Amino acid sequence: MKMAWKEMMKYKMRYIILGSIIFLISLLTLSISGLANGLSQDNAALIKNMPEGTFYMEESAEESYNFSSLSDSQINEVKNIDDNATFFSIQMGEFNDSEEQKHSLAYVSASDDQHFPAVEQGEIILDQSFAEEGLAEGDTIGNELTDEDLTVAGFVEQEKFSHSPVGFISSDDYSSMYDTDTFQLAFSTESDAAVDELSAFSNDEFLNTIPSYSAEQLSLNMIIAFLYVISGMLFAIFFYMINVQKLGTFGILKAVGVKTITLFKMMWAQMFIITVISLLLASGISELFNIFAPSGMPFHLTLDMILYSSAAFIAIGFVGATLSGIQIKKVEPMQAINQGGA
Amino acid sequence: MALFQLDNIQKTFKHGTTSEQILQSIDLELTKGALTALTGASGSGKSTLLTIAAGLQETTEGTIRFEDKTLTAISAEQVREVRAKHFGFVFQQAHLVPFLTVKEQLELMLDTAELKWSKEKRRSRIKETLESVGMWSHRDSQPENLSGGEKQRVAIARSIIHEPKMLFADEPTASLDSKRSAEVMSLIQGLSKELDITVLMVTHDEDVLQYADRTVEMKDGKII
Ligand SMILES: Nc1ncnc2c1ncn2[C@@H]1O[C@H](COP(=O)(O)OP(=O)(O)OP(=O)(O)O)[C@@H](O)[C@H]1O
Ligand SMILES: [Mg+2]
Repeated sequence: MKMAWKEMMKYKMRYIILGSIIFLISLLTLSISGLANGLSQDNAALIKNMPEGTFYMEESAEESYNFSSLSDSQINEVKNIDDNATFFSIQMGEFNDSEEQKHSLAYVSASDDQHFPAVEQGEIILDQSFAEEGLAEGDTIGNELTDEDLTVAGFVEQEKFSHSPVGFISSDDYSSMYDTDTFQLAFSTESDAAVDELSAFSNDEFLNTIPSYSAEQLSLNMIIAFLYVISGMLFAIFFYMINVQKLGTFGILKAVGVKTITLFKMMWAQMFIITVISLLLASGISELFNIFAPSGMPFHLTLDMILYSSAAFIAIGFVGATLSGIQIKKVEPMQAINQGGA
Repeated sequence: MALFQLDNIQKTFKHGTTSEQILQSIDLELTKGALTALTGASGSGKSTLLTIAAGLQETTEGTIRFEDKTLTAISAEQVREVRAKHFGFVFQQAHLVPFLTVKEQLELMLDTAELKWSKEKRRSRIKETLESVGMWSHRDSQPENLSGGEKQRVAIARSIIHEPKMLFADEPTASLDSKRSAEVMSLIQGLSKELDITVLMVTHDEDVLQYADRTVEMKDGKII
C-alpha cells in the first residue's frame, strides 16, 4: 500500500498524534490487564494452579466454602463417582515465628498430595513470600490453636488464597487445630456428576465464590472494556477527521476511476500500521514492566494476554476506521470537481 | 460510426419542490481522433454536459454510447472501469493528489487503469509523457511546490498517461495566462493527434477555438 504510506509520510504529525494516543491507551489497557491478572494470582493462585475439574461443597454452605463440612456419607458419595477425588480444607489463620512475630496465612490441608505438596505431621510448607520475610527451612512456628509447634519443611512458589500466602499442613495437624475430622471441599478432575446435597463448581465458578475475587475482577474488567470502547471511538473520530480533510482528494480519485475499495484499503493499511507500531511499543514497555516490577506488586502479564489484547485492538481499530470510512463511500466525484484544490 | 455518441441527453436538477431543466435534449456525436470544443455563455450547461458524458454524474434522460457499450445501461462499477481504462480527465483546477509526487500521480493512473505494461514500458511512457508536458525535471516534486501552470501540465500528463480513447477537459486553460494557455492547447492538440485521442473540451476562450477540429456552441441547455 504505497499510497497509504506516502500519505502518512506527508502528514506525519497527525498520524504521530493518533499513534501516540493509541499507544497510551493500549499501554494502559495492558497495564490494567496485567494488574487484574496479577491480583487474581495474588488472590487465588492456590485455585488457579489446580487443573480444570469440579469443586464440591455442601449445598447448605450457600457458596461459602468455610461453612461447608462434608459428612462421611458425602465423602463416600464423591468417592463413588471418582475414587481419586481429593478432599481439602482452607482456613484463614495466623502463626507466630520464633521471634513471636505474628504472620497471617491461609492454612490448607488435603487428603492426598495429587494437587498440593505432601506434608508430614508436625511440618508446614509455606509460600515463598515467607522466605522473603526471613523464615527459613527448619524454623519452628507456633499458633494459639495448638500446643504443638510446626517445623518449616520447605517453600513453594506462588501459592496464595484470598490475598494471603498459603501454608500447607497435614490433615492430622489440621484436625487438632480446628477440632474437626472432615474436609470442607472435594475436588475431582474426572467427574462433574451431581452429588446429593452438594453443589458443584467449575474452577471459574469456584473462584467467583471467593468474595473479593469477583469484585476485583469485575471492576478491572469494566475498566478494560471501557478502554477498548474508547480506543475504538478514537479510531473512528480520528479517521473521520482525517478523512474529512481528504474528501476532495477521494472524490478526484473516484472520478479518475480509483475503486472505493482501494481507498478503504488505504485507510485500513494506515490503521494497521499505526496500531501495530503502537502495540509493539506498548507490549514492549509493559513486558519490561512485567520483568522489572517490584515483587510485592501484583502484576502478571502473559504473552497470551498481550496477543489477545493486540488482536482486540486491531479488530476494534478496523471497525472504528471502517465506520468513519462510510463518508468515503458516499463522496461523489462531482463534489470534488466543483471545489478548489491542489 | 461515431466513437462516442450522446442521444437525447436531458438533465433536471431538483431544488426542494421546484426543479430546473439544465439540459434540453442534447444529441452529439464525436468522431474518433477529433478535438471538439464546447462553448457558450456561463450557465448554459457546458460543464454539466461534459461531466454527464464522462460518466461523472447521471443523466435524467437519454443514452450515452462509447464504442460498443451503452454507458447509461451498465452498472456504476462497469462505468467506473470504462473511466479508469479509457477516459482521461482535465478539470478546471489541476486536482492533483496532494501527497504524491509528480511521477507518482502518473503511476497511480497506470495502476488504476490496470494496464499490463512491463516495468520498462511504464518507465519510458512516464518519461515521455512528462517530457512532452515539460515536467520531467519536476518528476519528484510535490504538487504544493508547483505553480498553477505546472500543476495543470501535470494534470494533462496524468489524463493521457494511460493512453485513453477519450479525453474530457473542462476549461483546462482557465487558470493560465495566454502564453501558457497556448502551450497547453498545442500540447493537448498534439497528443490527441499523436495518440488518436478523441477530445471533448469546454472552453470560454476564443483563442483556444483555433485548436479545435469542430466547435459546438450551447445556449440555455441546447446546442445551437
Ligand atoms: N448540482 C447542481 N445542482 C443544481 N444546479 C446545478 C448543479 N450543477 C449545475 N447546476 C446549474 O446548471 C446550470 C449550468 O451549469 P454548468 O456548470 O453546466 O454551466 P457552464 O456552462 O459550465 O457555466 P460556466 O461557463 O460558468 O462554467 C447552472 O445554472 C447551474 O447553477
Ligand atoms: Mg463550467
